[in-house]
Amino acid sequence: MSVNETRGEAMAVGPTGRSRLFRGQTAIDFYGRRRLGLVTSLVLLVVTIGSLGLRGLDLGIDFEGGVSWDVPAAEFGVDAAADLLEEQGVSTDGARIQLRSSESGEFVKIQVEAAEGDRAEELRALFAAAAGVAVDDVGVNLVSSSWGSDVTAKAIRALLVFLVLVAVFISIRFEWRMALAAIVAMLHDVVISVGIYSVFGFVVTPATVIAFLTILGYSLYDTIVVFDRVRENEARLAAHRAPFADVTNISMNQVIMRSVNTSVSSVVPVVSLLLIGAGLLGASTLSEFAVALLIGMVTGAYSSIFIAAPLLAVLKGSSPEWRDRRWVRAEGEPLRSMVMGGLPAGRRVRDDDETPGDSRAVADAASVLNHAPRPRRKKRR
Amino acid sequence: MNRRALWGSLIGFVLVVAALLGVNLATENHPVLGLDLQGGVSVILQPTEEVGEEDLDTVRSLIRDELESLGIAEPDVRVEGTNIVVDLPGVKDQAQALEAVDVAGIVTLRPVLLCQPGAISPELLESLPAGQEALPTADGLQTCLVGPPGGTGEVFARGSASPQIDQSSGRWLVTVDLREDGQAVWNALAAACFAGDVSCPSRQLAIVLDDVVQSAPTVNQPSFSTGVEITGAFTEEEVRSLARVLNRGAFPVDVEAQRVETVSPTAGSDSLRAAIIAGIVGVAVMLLGLVLYYRRIAVVVVAGLVVWGATVFSLAAFVSQATNYALSLAGVTGIIVAIGVTIDSYIVLFERLKDEVRAGRTPRNAAPRSFQSTWRTILTADLVSVMASAILFWLSVGSVKGFALYLGLTTLADLAVCYLFTRPAVILMASRHRDGRLVGLGARA
Repeated sequence: MSVNETRGEAMAVGPTGRSRLFRGQTAIDFYGRRRLGLVTSLVLLVVTIGSLGLRGLDLGIDFEGGVSWDVPAAEFGVDAAADLLEEQGVSTDGARIQLRSSESGEFVKIQVEAAEGDRAEELRALFAAAAGVAVDDVGVNLVSSSWGSDVTAKAIRALLVFLVLVAVFISIRFEWRMALAAIVAMLHDVVISVGIYSVFGFVVTPATVIAFLTILGYSLYDTIVVFDRVRENEARLAAHRAPFADVTNISMNQVIMRSVNTSVSSVVPVVSLLLIGAGLLGASTLSEFAVALLIGMVTGAYSSIFIAAPLLAVLKGSSPEWRDRRWVRAEGEPLRSMVMGGLPAGRRVRDDDETPGDSRAVADAASVLNHAPRPRRKKRR
Repeated sequence: MNRRALWGSLIGFVLVVAALLGVNLATENHPVLGLDLQGGVSVILQPTEEVGEEDLDTVRSLIRDELESLGIAEPDVRVEGTNIVVDLPGVKDQAQALEAVDVAGIVTLRPVLLCQPGAISPELLESLPAGQEALPTADGLQTCLVGPPGGTGEVFARGSASPQIDQSSGRWLVTVDLREDGQAVWNALAAACFAGDVSCPSRQLAIVLDDVVQSAPTVNQPSFSTGVEITGAFTEEEVRSLARVLNRGAFPVDVEAQRVETVSPTAGSDSLRAAIIAGIVGVAVMLLGLVLYYRRIAVVVVAGLVVWGATVFSLAAFVSQATNYALSLAGVTGIIVAIGVTIDSYIVLFERLKDEVRAGRTPRNAAPRSFQSTWRTILTADLVSVMASAILFWLSVGSVKGFALYLGLTTLADLAVCYLFTRPAVILMASRHRDGRLVGLGARA
């Protein structure tokens, strides 16, 4: 079979949902199911706000300060300190255990959250016993935060400036409705990630804040990739009578495979960090970081398709250029043909339309533009 | 498409990256690791007099700002008991650490009685009335006889001193803002000196730090409203150090280094090893998936990721040595996330290529078109990341700043690899394929 024969011939539509997904031939009505995503997110948001109100966040030693013990390290080590804390039921999440040495000798510095402050003296005695020294030789001190409110204030100021500039940038590159939708989706991701920290009581450390910032960037990135496709289809369909819901549906079906692939590719290394790094090799700092990133990546990919895109469809649907589109949105085979690169064909108009004849004419015009090319005449020999 | 230009870009970029990596490896110039991964040196500072908690917190913030303005990135500064503990990443020797944290001090403002070259005669020194002192100037050439302090550096707004150039004369000067509650103190001193009062016959007002006259400007006006300009025959270096002195003087209390300690990493070397092993396994699994899915063209992803990794390593090594921005555990994991973003540029490109091939184009025809539209997408999305990192780097402090730096670096590396490596690699590869097997589609597609 020669290659020439297959050229220009459209690929057959896959028989199963999976094969259609792989071939980019899906015809999922994302727009029709937009409420599903919005309601799911609304529920998550309510849970988040409720949890933040009731439980708040468990801020680590870097934010709230804590207690510090200096234990002579002659017969004591970092691992022994971690074991002792665990035996006593003191969480080592966000705790900082270091071996320090100076001219006066080596000692282990153990710093934990302020919540354990009441037990400072009790633990001091335990540390002294474990290290085989007198209680007075174990120094105990209150530690301030190292991440002061000024650091937070500066970070927030930077974020606000960033949000304004991103809004301006997307507005210039795309349009303001896309900027609004992208920023709403981003805030949604960050709020939900914070909510998960609150619900599960994870300790918030500076690394967590960094993870949240990563989520923010990832979410915006993902949304912009999706919106770029929307804009391309918008230009393609602008001259036709199809509603913006069609543009949304076509774009989402076209990018779904990319979103799935990218999400899987990005999540695999993070899951590996979680399972291998934290699980088997036992590094607890890694696990909390990986959890935050995992949540952020999943919500980032989800929100682009289920929050940003439907929001954009609603905003655009009521915009002057798209408000008066009379056709109902395409589903099934017509949608599939458009996803695969075809143009909109004649379709039923919305019930509230007063001039049915109008759309008929345009539909004809569209199909005239879209007819198959005239077969070339065979050359005479 | 000009094949020679494509080969040139492909080979040229790989050679440049390989050369950079080679130089970095040969000179053992690798990224500086953060406190949590590599430990560092810690200096314990103690206030010279008893102060309240609030002042200690102020000192903590001032020290951190000063360290960062001196280019010492991500120091961990906190109050412990009555001491201030400063942990410095990437600093190896103790003398360097002690010098680095010597940023606090009390600046006093003292009227000048007279200044003369060389030392002041011992007879005169003995007969000095109480409160008067003979102090050397910063260059050591002169000795000034100064009256009792009329105020401290706290009359100036914190961190407001900055070196400037006078636009008309082109001379260096220092501007500093007055605090609202410091204005009266400063103006009382200035008025006395301007009038040539007995307490200040020379009309000069000395700025003293550590018993050295840092500068003794002549007062040219009797009162100042919000800011003060200090002019003179300064060099740029003198102006910068004077500005630093004025900013240092804002400390409410002086602190002294008590002792220096070396600190072990908190996360431990097994954390870094765990992160690296887990990262390698994860990336390998992901690449295997991509090879199975995209078949032949996935070879570009594998090669591209290697090139990207080498670029990031070289950039990180260079930047962390040049700027002292250490790579912490947060940074390492941030890079793992960046892998996801980098992989996305390939996936967007390959999916587009698949669409075009399915629509009936040959890979040879589809590749340049696909790249063009993909490049627009990637450029827009990556520009937002670059913007984010630039703003966060500019406006924030501490570990947020370090994060921003590495986010920016990895994103720029992504853009460079995408345009200079992936584009020629995919277009050249596609030009040798006439059917969909290139992107994992069947021969018929």
